[in-house]
Amino acid sequence: MIVIHPFAKKLVNGKQNPKNYPYWKELIALIDEPIIQIGIEGEQQLTPDFRKNLPIPELRKLIQECRIWIGIDSFFQHLAWDEGKSGIVLWSVSDPLIFGHPENTNLLENRDNLSKNQFLWWDFTEHDASKFIEPEIVKNYL
Amino acid sequence: MDKILCSVATRGRYHTTLPLVLSAIINQTRLPDKLVIFDDNDEPKDLRNELAYSYFFKMLDLKGVQWQWLFAEKKGQHHIHQMANTMGYKWVWRVDDDAIPEPNVLENLYRIATKIDNVGAIGGSILTPPLIFDTSKSTGKIANIDKEPNIQWNHIENIVEVEHLHCSFLYRAGVHDYNLGLSRVAHREETLFTYGLYQKGYKILTVSDAVTWHFKNPQGGIRSETQQELYWHDEQIFRNIVGNSDRTIVVLNCGLGDHIVFNSILDSIPNPMVFGCYPEIIPCRSIAEAQALFGDLDQWNIYKKMAQWNWTGNLEDAYRKLYL
Repeated sequence: MIVIHPFAKKLVNGKQNPKNYPYWKELIALIDEPIIQIGIEGEQQLTPDFRKNLPIPELRKLIQECRIWIGIDSFFQHLAWDEGKSGIVLWSVSDPLIFGHPENTNLLENRDNLSKNQFLWWDFTEHDASKFIEPEIVKNYL
Repeated sequence: MDKILCSVATRGRYHTTLPLVLSAIINQTRLPDKLVIFDDNDEPKDLRNELAYSYFFKMLDLKGVQWQWLFAEKKGQHHIHQMANTMGYKWVWRVDDDAIPEPNVLENLYRIATKIDNVGAIGGSILTPPLIFDTSKSTGKIANIDKEPNIQWNHIENIVEVEHLHCSFLYRAGVHDYNLGLSRVAHREETLFTYGLYQKGYKILTVSDAVTWHFKNPQGGIRSETQQELYWHDEQIFRNIVGNSDRTIVVLNCGLGDHIVFNSILDSIPNPMVFGCYPEIIPCRSIAEAQALFGDLDQWNIYKKMAQWNWTGNLEDAYRKLYL
């Protein structure tokens, strides 16, 4: 079983968070294994099994139970790191050397895509699908 | 040689003590590299055509001292000092607009600051004639601040390590922030600032042969406010910070993931008192309480700190740098 955490926190300005991976549907279609999506109320459902608003202990339990997890640069990668369970993180504009953990597979398309200022609110950065790695490549790491 | 910025915050003293202060700065035996006058007057004036000032500016030019006259935001002198603190100089010599330094002050402060390791701030005597206090038993410790006169209120014979300074002094810039949560009277701002440097492990020194004459003037001044509640507000923040000086104050005004990463170093932090947003990750008190207790929380803003440090390491190490 694979756990996916597809979406980062919504931005105050209502725009799409530039850290959100744009090819989840394509990636999920490539995976022949049960997937549990975790997230919160209001987020797009990508898999039949979508578990919303789970408390932290239940998220920790799921992390332990899954074969591997896939996420983006959001709290979940830190929680899984805290649980000692490595997974795949799909990066775009934030820097995995600052916000990531070397225990994970950190997939970044190109360091040239990183935002110049890593420490501002992400509201000021436009979402750009071309800055993410292709789903076919992600599949190779599963 | 390190670059020194001299900062003067002024209000209501264009034609009383400010010219004396500027003259004293211009006649230092060791000149600063730059002088910035932060003008906090309600009705600021362009003084370039006033006789004395026009000569001051020409003298600064001739002596090769860059100068700048900035109109401040009238939010209090702590905001002014924080601007000076973050202008990119290694040292800032802050001089009050009614405190007239003798010609050797900057030279002696800088000489000792760079001779002794790890100096955070260094000040000399601040004398208000005709008052001379008996400081023979003064310790300069923050715990004794209500019980003893400040060591700087008399002639100083030897170098003394203290925990806080008063009025005018030379300090290492960019390593500790002024508390911007104080009111516009900025009561205790320099005490809190120098004590913060002390808490970060820097030496705070008082030294001989660096006398500044404090022409205490009831008119004008950067603290010319009469609202007692503002002083009370600032005093409470001061008492809360000093009263918890044996604790490591941790403020996590940030996201869930940041709390999780911070949690990995919590055990190595001595006697922590944690304020945060996610008690399910770390037992903590609320951010609102931290704000009420300590005023400004920016000094604990990990993202602001990483930006200031041009940080390229990982988040966990940034937390170590901030708290350990």
